[in-house]
Amino acid sequence: MGEVSTAGSGVGARVRRKEDDRLLRGRGRFVGDIALVGMKELAFVRSPVAHATITGIEIPEEHRGAVLTWADLAAGGVKPIRAVSGLPGFKVSEQPALADGKVRFVGEPVAVCVAATRAEAEDIAASVFVDYAELPVNSDMLEAVKPGAPRVHDHWPDNVFLETNVGGNIAEIAATAPVKVSRTIRTARQCMVPLEGKGVVAHWDRHVEQLVLTTSTQMPHIVRAGLSECLDLDQGLIRVVAPDVGGGFGWKGLLQPEEIVAAWIAMRLDRPVRWTEDRREHLVAAANAREHHYEITAYADARGRLLGIEADAWVDAGAYSVYPFSACLEAAQVGSILPGPYDFAHYRCRTFSVCTNKPPIVPYRGVARTGVCFAMEQMIDAVADAVGREPWQVRLENLVPPEKMPFDNVTKKHFDSGDYPESVRRAVAAIELDGWRARQKAGEVDGRLIGVGFATYCEQSAHGTAVYHGWGIPMVPGHEQAQARITPDGGLELRVGVQSHGQSMETTFAQVAHEVLGIPLEKIKLVHGDTGLTPYSTGTWGSRSMVMAGGAVATACRTLAERLRKIGAHLMQAGPEGVLLEGGSVKAGAAAVTIREIAHTWYRAPQLLPADVDRGGLEVTAGYKPGSDHGTFSYATHAVAVAVDPEIGQVEILDYVVVEDAGTMVNPMVVDGQIYGGVAQGVGTALYERMPYDAEGQPLASTFADYLIPGFTEVPHVRIIHMLTPSPYTEFGVKGIGEGGAIAPPAAICNAINDALKPLGVIVTNAPMTPEVILGAIAGQQDAGRGAA
Amino acid sequence: MSAHAKSISLTVNGARVEASVPPRQHLGDFLRERELLTGTHLGCEHGVCGACTILIDGEPARSCITFAVACDGRSITTVEGLDDDPVATELREAFAAEHGLQCGFCTPGMLVAARDVVLRRPDADNPAIRTAMSGNLCRCTGYVGIVNAIRRVIDARNTNAG
Ligand code: FES
Ligand code: FES
Repeated sequence: MGEVSTAGSGVGARVRRKEDDRLLRGRGRFVGDIALVGMKELAFVRSPVAHATITGIEIPEEHRGAVLTWADLAAGGVKPIRAVSGLPGFKVSEQPALADGKVRFVGEPVAVCVAATRAEAEDIAASVFVDYAELPVNSDMLEAVKPGAPRVHDHWPDNVFLETNVGGNIAEIAATAPVKVSRTIRTARQCMVPLEGKGVVAHWDRHVEQLVLTTSTQMPHIVRAGLSECLDLDQGLIRVVAPDVGGGFGWKGLLQPEEIVAAWIAMRLDRPVRWTEDRREHLVAAANAREHHYEITAYADARGRLLGIEADAWVDAGAYSVYPFSACLEAAQVGSILPGPYDFAHYRCRTFSVCTNKPPIVPYRGVARTGVCFAMEQMIDAVADAVGREPWQVRLENLVPPEKMPFDNVTKKHFDSGDYPESVRRAVAAIELDGWRARQKAGEVDGRLIGVGFATYCEQSAHGTAVYHGWGIPMVPGHEQAQARITPDGGLELRVGVQSHGQSMETTFAQVAHEVLGIPLEKIKLVHGDTGLTPYSTGTWGSRSMVMAGGAVATACRTLAERLRKIGAHLMQAGPEGVLLEGGSVKAGAAAVTIREIAHTWYRAPQLLPADVDRGGLEVTAGYKPGSDHGTFSYATHAVAVAVDPEIGQVEILDYVVVEDAGTMVNPMVVDGQIYGGVAQGVGTALYERMPYDAEGQPLASTFADYLIPGFTEVPHVRIIHMLTPSPYTEFGVKGIGEGGAIAPPAAICNAINDALKPLGVIVTNAPMTPEVILGAIAGQQDAGRGAA
Repeated sequence: MSAHAKSISLTVNGARVEASVPPRQHLGDFLRERELLTGTHLGCEHGVCGACTILIDGEPARSCITFAVACDGRSITTVEGLDDDPVATELREAFAAEHGLQCGFCTPGMLVAARDVVLRRPDADNPAIRTAMSGNLCRCTGYVGIVNAIRRVIDARNTNAG
């Protein structure tokens, strides 16, 4: 049943997922499903104010011992989180797992309460009285960089984690370019909202003498490293396990204060403890993504050919630097990837990672690319408007053409392969632009305005060693490792240190192994997400797992294949030449011996093995890195048609097309799923999602009734068109694809809305483009974004 | 706490359950923590996301905003109780074929809600499916696979019925 695969069940086949059955029967195992004997529950006392000195913490007499503060943790030797960027000039923040005399954002954990149930722990939390002496607040990054702004970290001279300058002088272009357009562009602060919140169960395993932290994470090995630093505990004494993880999108790609607290309490009480983030905690304390501000100018010739881009960009990095990505990953990306998929010569970008009284910024699906694409693609449309051409034509004018691939762009990004202009041409055809243009001209009977928008991006993914080193991230990925082991019954066990949290790796890595070894998928088992069972890995982030860990699986399986052939040949008394591994058997002419028989020989009948057999046996650990440290560049053009109601400011998406190139697809069904899901999140960024703050730094949304994530009726039935240009640098030519869908929707939808609003002579430049924003623009109130042409 | 506990007696997935529960405990916590039926997931605990959707006397309901004490005498069905349900079986098959789940966290609630749509709306076109399902949130799939899965089941049932 289901779709017929085009290639059996190996690379390229649309096979069903191995993980589905348990999840469809409610038999998955998420952190919140784990209960250990004697387990206690934790609840946190969190700061209700954005900036204050703590002058006292009163714990009711009857709850003494059930409430712990930083004083207890510090006395126990716990150290604050330090994530230090390697970039020169970076200012270091220290984040204690519980506030140390000062709070710097609403939701910051101040104390932790331990009880038999979560409800009782929350009762205790409500009884703790904390005295706050409030301090002036930085609730807006542009105010926070002004002289005299209150300082978030007292010992800093200002509120800037880091300022960077990329590119050179473009004064000459600025003075002479025939076309100059400027915009002020902003994206809102968002919450990532995996449907499963964060959660952790910690206990001390007396038998193996290890702290075992079962946590909803994307990066178990990195959490272990961070815990080791903060708890001053050897890594060998810590095991971090990720069970089923209910989505992550970046929110589970960091070391969290709550993990440190839970780990320490489990050891201190010698009892298992559990904390599960509830939705209100998430929305308040983890509004930590996306907030960018751009002052950007594009220079072009009269045809719309870009001559240069000049920008200042501010990123609201929040109060602390997160482990491991630091407070500067976002801005470092802005500086280096703002030029997008375009070929132009002159560039200058200054970035500021601003420290404010908000939750610390965490890389969210697409990281800076969503904001960068939002800014850059608005500029392409602005240039098109200025020169009187169709936006798609101006894109074609400027995109890196296929004949220039591989291509080093103005910031030395090495684009590996692809036909970027073709993605635009196909998107124009698929959305049927002419039809929409005709409909626009005719007008709608209901008075709505039709608009069509495009956005093109390329996405560096599976970043290599040099890239991460260059961004100053204190966690530089090297060779990714995978273990492959033939079991005594001829099955295969794969062990990888990345962690699947919806990406279908149990299936797709099995497809990779099947491609090499021919072992049926149902006999391949993936073990992942456990530092005790898998090789070290920086984890799942940056659309890297299939390229990196998939590459390592293929490499390990190739070595296994070699060994299987050798033993098989010996068992058939054949010479080494002409011996094939095919369909799960080693073959020489008409003779064949199955992997199962070879496994039996190695494990159970070694007397039959050749004398010079590889002593490593049927178990291989192999490391892998793509042929280029620059990673892979997948790319796409999104095209969207919208209807904007100028009376009520509402936007309806009428059609949405994605033309994308992720290189070779291991499982097209899974790739499509990643794109659909990414686009849905991008629609949220474009039209709905915003954590508003008041001047006191109070988050003004705390439920799904006021922080809106897109549902069934808000997300379009996206149409996807694939292009398949293999990467020359990776196993099978795969490229990273996990984040891409979330990058372009805000830009494409913004361009469509502005296309619709064109007759009214106004534009919108800020996301989310809510009815309020659109009506404001129409009323001429928010027209400040349009600079002089 | 136990001083205020109330005794209830109800049916959970066909089995009789007698329990003493604190009045403030919601049905989702009761099912998960006491009955160890952890297939019912909690995504918001304020009645919006639909992850906790279960059946009370055959009708979909949100277990996070239903008190356990209010379920005295009721019959509860969770995703674990739908193993042999014919519509749920067709839906599981279709969800797998159409990639209607990624992380799987929303899935139990989606299945319960989708089962209701299949039974009540054999005439539903895709927009109607979307409207009918709009009480459930998914952060992973972008909904396309879920809509396609429900479509597939409705179409197959209509073909078989015709
Ligand atoms: S958990 Fe009940 S509706 Fe979200
Ligand atoms: S599959 Fe992850 S929330 Fe729906």
